[in-house]
Amino acid sequence: MNRAFLAGLVRLAITLAVIGAVLLAVLIPFALPHEHPGTVIAAFLLGPLSSLRHLGNVAEYATPIAFTGLAATVVFRSGLFNLGIESGVFLGGLAATTAALLLLSFGPFTPFVAIVVGAVVGSISCIVPGELRLRWEAPEMVTSLVLNFAILYAGVFFLNYYLRDPAAGSLMSYRIPADAKLDRLLAGTRLNSGAIVALVACLAGGVWLYFTRSGLNLRIVGQGPVFASHLGLPSRRIIMQAQIVGGMIAGMAGAIQVLGLYPRFSWTQLPGLGWTGIIIAILARENPFYVVPAALFLGYLQVGGDFLARDIGIPSEVVGLITAAIMLAVTATAIFQHPAVLRLIRRIRQVEAAR
Amino acid sequence: MTDRRDDGERAAGPAPVVAFDHISKTYANGTVALRDVSFSIPARTIHAICGENGAGKSTLMKILFGLEGPTAGQVLLDGQPVSTATRDFAGRHGIGMVHQHFSLIPTLSVTENIILGHEPKKGVLIDRAAARAKVEALSQRYGLAVDPDAITGRLPVAAQQKVEILKALSRDTRVLILDEPTAVLSPPEINELFSRLRDLRDHGITILFISHKLNEVRSLAESVTVLRAGQVAGAARLADVPDNMIMQMVMGRPVEITRREPRQVTGEPLLVMSGVSLASRDPADRLRDIDLVIHPGEIVGVAGVDGSGQRGLVSLVTGAARPGAGSISFDGEDMAAASTERWRARGMAHLPSDRFTQGGVPALTLIENAIAGTDGDRRFQRGPFLRGGAISEAVAGMVEDYSVRALSIGERLDSLSGGNVQKLIAARELATEPRFLIADQPTRGIDVAAAAFIHKRIVDAAERGAAVLLVTADLDELLRLSDRVVVMFGGQITAVLANEAHLTPERLGPFMLGLEDMP
Repeated sequence: MNRAFLAGLVRLAITLAVIGAVLLAVLIPFALPHEHPGTVIAAFLLGPLSSLRHLGNVAEYATPIAFTGLAATVVFRSGLFNLGIESGVFLGGLAATTAALLLLSFGPFTPFVAIVVGAVVGSISCIVPGELRLRWEAPEMVTSLVLNFAILYAGVFFLNYYLRDPAAGSLMSYRIPADAKLDRLLAGTRLNSGAIVALVACLAGGVWLYFTRSGLNLRIVGQGPVFASHLGLPSRRIIMQAQIVGGMIAGMAGAIQVLGLYPRFSWTQLPGLGWTGIIIAILARENPFYVVPAALFLGYLQVGGDFLARDIGIPSEVVGLITAAIMLAVTATAIFQHPAVLRLIRRIRQVEAAR
Repeated sequence: MTDRRDDGERAAGPAPVVAFDHISKTYANGTVALRDVSFSIPARTIHAICGENGAGKSTLMKILFGLEGPTAGQVLLDGQPVSTATRDFAGRHGIGMVHQHFSLIPTLSVTENIILGHEPKKGVLIDRAAARAKVEALSQRYGLAVDPDAITGRLPVAAQQKVEILKALSRDTRVLILDEPTAVLSPPEINELFSRLRDLRDHGITILFISHKLNEVRSLAESVTVLRAGQVAGAARLADVPDNMIMQMVMGRPVEITRREPRQVTGEPLLVMSGVSLASRDPADRLRDIDLVIHPGEIVGVAGVDGSGQRGLVSLVTGAARPGAGSISFDGEDMAAASTERWRARGMAHLPSDRFTQGGVPALTLIENAIAGTDGDRRFQRGPFLRGGAISEAVAGMVEDYSVRALSIGERLDSLSGGNVQKLIAARELATEPRFLIADQPTRGIDVAAAAFIHKRIVDAAERGAAVLLVTADLDELLRLSDRVVVMFGGQITAVLANEAHLTPERLGPFMLGLEDMP
């Protein structure tokens, strides 16, 4: 166990080194024309860490994508590349808003009820492609991708005809009642109690995958489907469970995002949090325990980008560029399977073994 | 560089075409695959390389083929040191290799497969006529008849192997490496292959033949080098040494081959199949009118050329398929429509033929693979949670019991060699004390010591009262273990024979080839 941990550290160190190199490679061309190139890089790298409020901003950004990262992890672990989590977020937000607007108030439990409604409704977006795959072998990647847009337009229709506040200037819902909103945790930021839920959810997800029987069975079905059927595992049920759980987490992400951050529901496009979730899942190597640091890291990049945009006038799209470049580098197995790296890991293990 | 030989004896005759000079190889994960290996191979001979799994045979061949470089030492071709592991090394030096798992693309034609990588060109296009002519010429020259236009994937295995050999020969090859080439062939096909290989030698090609099977080595090769644990354990001219000496070199200790005393089994049969047929998309899996009974404590061996219906038979008694007609009962219960889950609940255990896809998950750890499928076992579970400590202890015990060689039980399954993977799977499957054990090619491709170990465990299971269905292409294994032998051909059972002393592979042959049918 110890050796595996140390070997993991080496990989982590290399990951950080790769990320640092990519960051600088992308940033330096933007920084050079500036009067003080050093301040540009400092603003990006140190800005997010400069005060408690900025750290709060990082956590605020990290909250929804930790959820979607976890959702993507669960879904991918079942062996299905189900992209329904993207519209699951949208649907979850819409359903939670609807619940908050239409249902009676449940006092302090109102947000809880709204989030549960969001989660349940949101899970449809992953269940449908999963069912189509299991029953008719329809490729889930295609069906979920198409379904994302069907759900978006159905949702926008619903918003327009049932939730729209005619008094508001543009297409958005009525104001979400105050008792449905999540508690803010840090003054000056929109960091809310959803962040705690996200952290707990990721830890629970990790415990599920690695320390329970059903988590082991899910990993067996996802990584060894033929073996699973030879064992007599109920593969279809296990795969479906993962779609339901993944979809619910995506729905929760949407619900918490809307109830925690916005005065009204106003998404008329897919929010993109599901796509970011996929990036997180890949960055975290589909391990729920690593989802939290991966989400915080992307949040940190985002806040750094905000600094660039606000203080220096470099477009915040640069952050998207950096994220993309980092993804390319981090997923390059050529770096992580490099003989020199493997040799280093081996040496560590031998030292351990000798002790 | 000196042209040295290590086995003490200096062969008269042509200079060695290949020489290994103090080759060592340590992998990045710390595995020492080869340790100071030196020997040489005279030109125009067939030289066998024997050894257990993990003895280093494959690594040595990968080095010679240029897929990997040695950590120390060098390879000499015609006495000249060469640096392997360079681009297109094998192609430039005329070394061809026939891999155990074919490297053919099933959807391409025979011609396309053979010319792949060095296509004759006409401008930017492939010169198809020239390619076809080249394949025909090759095929004629070496007496390996293939249809150049056939789609490779549709050919029988033996024909695909010919394509593989032609591919290996297609670039002015002087050294041909064959890695376990007989594993996929029936006895007559093996004879055919061997006479083709002798022809190739007479054409001036040096052949390196890697095999586990001593009788094949003896009938084909002139000399042998035995590797054990990455070192040269011995080298000899086959004419000079008896079998048991080579066996001892391979194993490092003497081994006994005895037929198991067949036992008279009485009482009610545990498994009864009657009039069973199976429809399948793949003709090789179809079954017609199968009658089969297995008693508790009895090992029934299924013989047959690969694709005679064995796979269909196994799929029926593991719950992977449902019969089209007929009945299957187990311990008096109708199991024709039973799922794998139900078969397992009744005490079925299965050593599948494909270890890495059917027998385990390569990317999961030994621990996880060892406890897979033990759902609800109180020793390993408290509520939904796995009991890490108890599991580690139990798996460590299994690894110890079955002498699985692994760095640690936290390693991934694919860090083990084939024999060790099979031992771990056997440990898992037999841990449940099954009432019905299906052993499908239980020792294919694994070393003699591991095979003997697995055999013992199968016999132990039978002696505890399990009914055992042994499906194997290895007739030695079949005769060694079975109480009764059934022979399959074309999806039918063509013979049921008691395994008595006069039952020999020769006696089984006609049934396996469908030349004879028992009334």
